[in-house]
Amino acid sequence: MKTDDMKRIFYYIVLTLGAFIMLIPFLWVLSNSLKTVDNVMKIPPQYIPNPITLGNFKIVLNELSFLKYLGNSFFVVVFNLVGTVLSSALVGFGFAKFDFVGKKILFTLMLATLMMPAQVTMIPTYFIWSKAGMLDTFLPLILPAFLGQATGIFLFNQNYRSMPDVLYESALIDGCNPLRILFQIYMPLSKPTMMTLIVLTFIGAWNNTMGPLLYLQSREKYTLTMGLLTLDQSPIAAANVGVKMAGSVITMAPVIIVFLFSQKYFVQGDISSGVKG
Amino acid sequence: MRKSNFWGLLFVLPFIIGTAVFFVFPVLFSGYISFTDWDMFNPPKFVGLKNWINSFKDPAFWISFRNVLYFAAIFVPLQTIFALVIANMLNQKIKFKGGFRACYFLPNVTPWVAGAIVWKFLYGYDYGLINYILRSLGFEGSYWYDSDKWWVAIGSLALMNVWKGMGQTMVILLSAMQSVPKEIVEAATTEGAGKAAIFRKITVPMISPMVFLTMILSTISAFTAFDVFLTMFDVYSLPDRNNVVNLMVYREAFIYGKMGPASTLAWMLFIIILIITVIQRKFEKKWVHYEN
Repeated sequence: MKTDDMKRIFYYIVLTLGAFIMLIPFLWVLSNSLKTVDNVMKIPPQYIPNPITLGNFKIVLNELSFLKYLGNSFFVVVFNLVGTVLSSALVGFGFAKFDFVGKKILFTLMLATLMMPAQVTMIPTYFIWSKAGMLDTFLPLILPAFLGQATGIFLFNQNYRSMPDVLYESALIDGCNPLRILFQIYMPLSKPTMMTLIVLTFIGAWNNTMGPLLYLQSREKYTLTMGLLTLDQSPIAAANVGVKMAGSVITMAPVIIVFLFSQKYFVQGDISSGVKG
Repeated sequence: MRKSNFWGLLFVLPFIIGTAVFFVFPVLFSGYISFTDWDMFNPPKFVGLKNWINSFKDPAFWISFRNVLYFAAIFVPLQTIFALVIANMLNQKIKFKGGFRACYFLPNVTPWVAGAIVWKFLYGYDYGLINYILRSLGFEGSYWYDSDKWWVAIGSLALMNVWKGMGQTMVILLSAMQSVPKEIVEAATTEGAGKAAIFRKITVPMISPMVFLTMILSTISAFTAFDVFLTMFDVYSLPDRNNVVNLMVYREAFIYGKMGPASTLAWMLFIIILIITVIQRKFEKKWVHYEN
């Protein structure tokens, strides 16, 4: 009994220490975003900012247009959410409930898309968007979401397979067409899957850096990740680390909030997508 | 399940269009481009194996490849070991499980570009927290991500990648541990087996397929890592000694406008990933336990 208690105390110490180390970068960025410019670069470092200032946030939001970038990020993310959920539900339902020609090949292709490094398809994809005259618009970041996304298709496919076909048959007898059956009967029943996908898509689209880097050229179209990536180019930010920290806090805060409120969905989805990926 | 070509194909139509345009065409086209000289504006000029031979002979490629290997060699084992240890502790009767799990998972959901800004500051030579702690313990401060030594620079990034990725591996392993049947553990306990013996003789063999899977996934993610290098290093002035294959592809294509060599490099990276996955699969039979 005694040794068991000792062991448990040891576990708590290791777990807490580990968790603290994981959190240090977050605590450090928050602390420094609230410091005045002379307090950021100090030895020994100031752990708790004194005085606390919101000046860095004001500079980054107004003078460095992060308010605009924040809006752009939300704009891109919302369309990604709508597109991914709609198209993945459609395709997942198709795979789950119908037999049709070429189904096996298509399913294999879906798994293959998960394995191919983005670098292989990057150049031709860029070429397509440039030929379509859509560089420096949000479309390259939004349109693909409406054409199905492998993780989402996979999640919906699993979910709809596990739902009885009787639902489908009886609705068909009542005169519903398959599209209405999906939207009115199956989709409302797959809310947990939808939530999982919404959280995964939110985080993926919000954090996307490669896409904006390739496709957005004018500053007023930048998303937050792109704004942060190019922040060093501004003399104000280059001269004051606190301003960069404030920019990081603004970029991280929305995903962290989403994560904290939706942990169970996120962790679930991550496992199933990770396992099959 | 019913047979209907019309409805089935109609439902998966978005996927058919998406895959044709954004997967099948790009893969084939990029394969073709790797045998040409192309600047994306003029028509591609077929040059045969030139790009492949040049890339193969290019010392910069082999340095980048060495860096990726080194990055994976540090990142994959460390991440797996930490994730196993933490998952095993969280699998005991512990309070605040959800809270701990959230702390370990948090870095995973945040964008690299924000994380990189903090890490550059933490790793800073004069005012970085890490050097401050080292100096107050009586050690000397060091340059980290901006070191002259490639193995220090790449190693610092590999450690950051452990910070970022560990939570996900830990959660996958934890759920695998939770699915180990309780009866087996109980039977072993009544037979007098201790916690350590149970972990070594029961838990590890039972979850070994999952451990193996997470190792394959981490290896692939190490080889395809891009954001961490893009945000920590300056792509425009990056010396060859710190380069990785993925950044080379980006640089060749979008900074130098050489689509041919860039596509070749991307394909070489893909082939390397395939080879490593196959080798790992060979080893799998040796130590992974599968239930029949």
